[in-house]
Amino acid sequence: MTKSKTIKVDYLARVEGEGALYVRYDDAGVHDVKLKIFEPPRFFEGFMRGRDYLEAPDITARICGICPIAYQMSAVHAMEDALGLSLPAELQALRRLIYCGEWIESHTLHIYMLHAPDFLGYTGAVAMAKDHPTLVQDGLNIKKAGNAIVSLLGGREVHPINVRVGGFYRVPTRNELQPLREQLLCARDMAMATVRWAASLPFPKFERAQSEQYEFVALSDAGEYPMNRGSIVSTRGLAIPVREYDQHFREEHIEYSSALHSTLVGRGAYFVGPMARYNLNFDRLSPLVRQLADDVGFAPFCANPFQSIVVRSLEVLYAFDEALRLIDNYRKPDIACVPTAPRAGTGFAATEAPRGLLYHRYSIDDAGKITEAKIVAPTSQNQKTIEDDLRLMLPKFMHLPEKNLQAQCEQAIRNYDPCISCSTHFLQLHLDKAGSGNTAGRIDPGEHNVERGA
Amino acid sequence: MSNWAVISLGHRFRGDDGVGPYVLDRLRPYIEPAVPCIESGGDLMNLLEMWRDRCVCLVDAVDASDLEIGAIVRCDGLSASVLPSHCTSSSHGFSLKEALDLGRLVQAMPLRLDIYGICGGHFAISAGLSAAVQATADIVAQEILALINTHNGGAPCTSTR
Repeated sequence: MTKSKTIKVDYLARVEGEGALYVRYDDAGVHDVKLKIFEPPRFFEGFMRGRDYLEAPDITARICGICPIAYQMSAVHAMEDALGLSLPAELQALRRLIYCGEWIESHTLHIYMLHAPDFLGYTGAVAMAKDHPTLVQDGLNIKKAGNAIVSLLGGREVHPINVRVGGFYRVPTRNELQPLREQLLCARDMAMATVRWAASLPFPKFERAQSEQYEFVALSDAGEYPMNRGSIVSTRGLAIPVREYDQHFREEHIEYSSALHSTLVGRGAYFVGPMARYNLNFDRLSPLVRQLADDVGFAPFCANPFQSIVVRSLEVLYAFDEALRLIDNYRKPDIACVPTAPRAGTGFAATEAPRGLLYHRYSIDDAGKITEAKIVAPTSQNQKTIEDDLRLMLPKFMHLPEKNLQAQCEQAIRNYDPCISCSTHFLQLHLDKAGSGNTAGRIDPGEHNVERGA
Repeated sequence: MSNWAVISLGHRFRGDDGVGPYVLDRLRPYIEPAVPCIESGGDLMNLLEMWRDRCVCLVDAVDASDLEIGAIVRCDGLSASVLPSHCTSSSHGFSLKEALDLGRLVQAMPLRLDIYGICGGHFAISAGLSAAVQATADIVAQEILALINTHNGGAPCTSTR
């Protein structure tokens, strides 16, 4: 008889947010996987009611200290949809530029600080930095260039405040962008090196069987790699305008999680994020990025989530390439923002946050007060797919010692760069081998009400 | 030119965890723009850039069951050992101690680091600051103001009101 064991990790580092994972398994297979997370956005939806429509971007930006631009972008686009506003191309370009900055910041943080230690065999970034200080320093320098974009266009690099419904509060001159250009050129070279380095990492072999293939979902726009616009498409033929999102996607409450699970109606789990964008929009990446992907032998379609670090590195390179293109073509808009006036209506928007599709819907009244808000974050959409990955993955790794098995679970979660509650920081992992009689590792719903964060 | 900055960790919508941003709000009218007040979003890599080569006062909530709510834990971040139990803040599972360790490894350290930890008791979303924490926060704001004024040649200020 196999000796039963329970593995418990109280504080799983290198995921963004707070949550817990419970896995019940025995030698016959995996019987239960529960990813339990705590998501503030539901509360933010409540905060929003009764607030002025102009406040939406700054309030929702506070949902996440890592990807505030994504929340601002989805909020302003939804409000502009409600108001029937369209922006001049120059203002749209600036919004794309600031989004490039956030992709660089967020992806680089994940690549170097959160995910790389898994592949190099370290417990965390500090341990890795002892042996690879230059690697971490490169990450800091790349990220600094992303910070510079957000800082210049957002007014400050943390919790930026310059984005508004209708455009920006202030737009930069062409001269103000030039020093940024030099910094981006230098960092782009480091981003190219990052792609080569990421592609050389050892990846666990994991691909789903034909019957269990992912349904990747992302925005798609004929003219560009998706950030702020496009229709919602999937690898199984979904193609809908964003305003039909609620007809095709459902959120449901799961007993063990305070976050809602998203599914595609009649189809189930789906997968948003860099891999979805890449797989559905490879031909819209810049020639430089496509060429480098080819040079390092990385195919235009990626189905192994452990290779998401390569996709992120390619998207970082793309963000630099795109930012440089936008700066080179920049013409200062005649106005910083299109005038807005409240009117009753409902607006819809989805943009591509670093972690994937971020959907906002708002209803406002004649006075511009928000009467209803709905926000669906990428991690909420990926929850079920993460659970499915663990369910399908674990049998392939059962031969590993429990410590390694546990590490594999953690790495599998980090493949998705989950932004669990955006500002609080621990995920408790319990692997419970059935029959152990040890329930110490089981999740008690009340156990995680200690909220601690920064 | 001032090389000082005040940095807060903590989430302003999570009860006592918002004490850092609260202290910043108290200080801003008196010290900005000469001394930037930076509300960290919890990104460790940003933190290293924010404090690099600066004199920094860092304010955070701490969760220490052996201390009373509202107690102040002061320490010199460059010389004292930062207790992990007092510094589970910052983002992504990184602690302040790890940020310091990483900063030393990649030469991204502040010139001076005065850490003010304020013991909180309630960290629920939108709970607001507890009375004891808010009272302590006002004291900490005064201390920081006096410290910065002293080092920048101004007369120590004893009131932030």
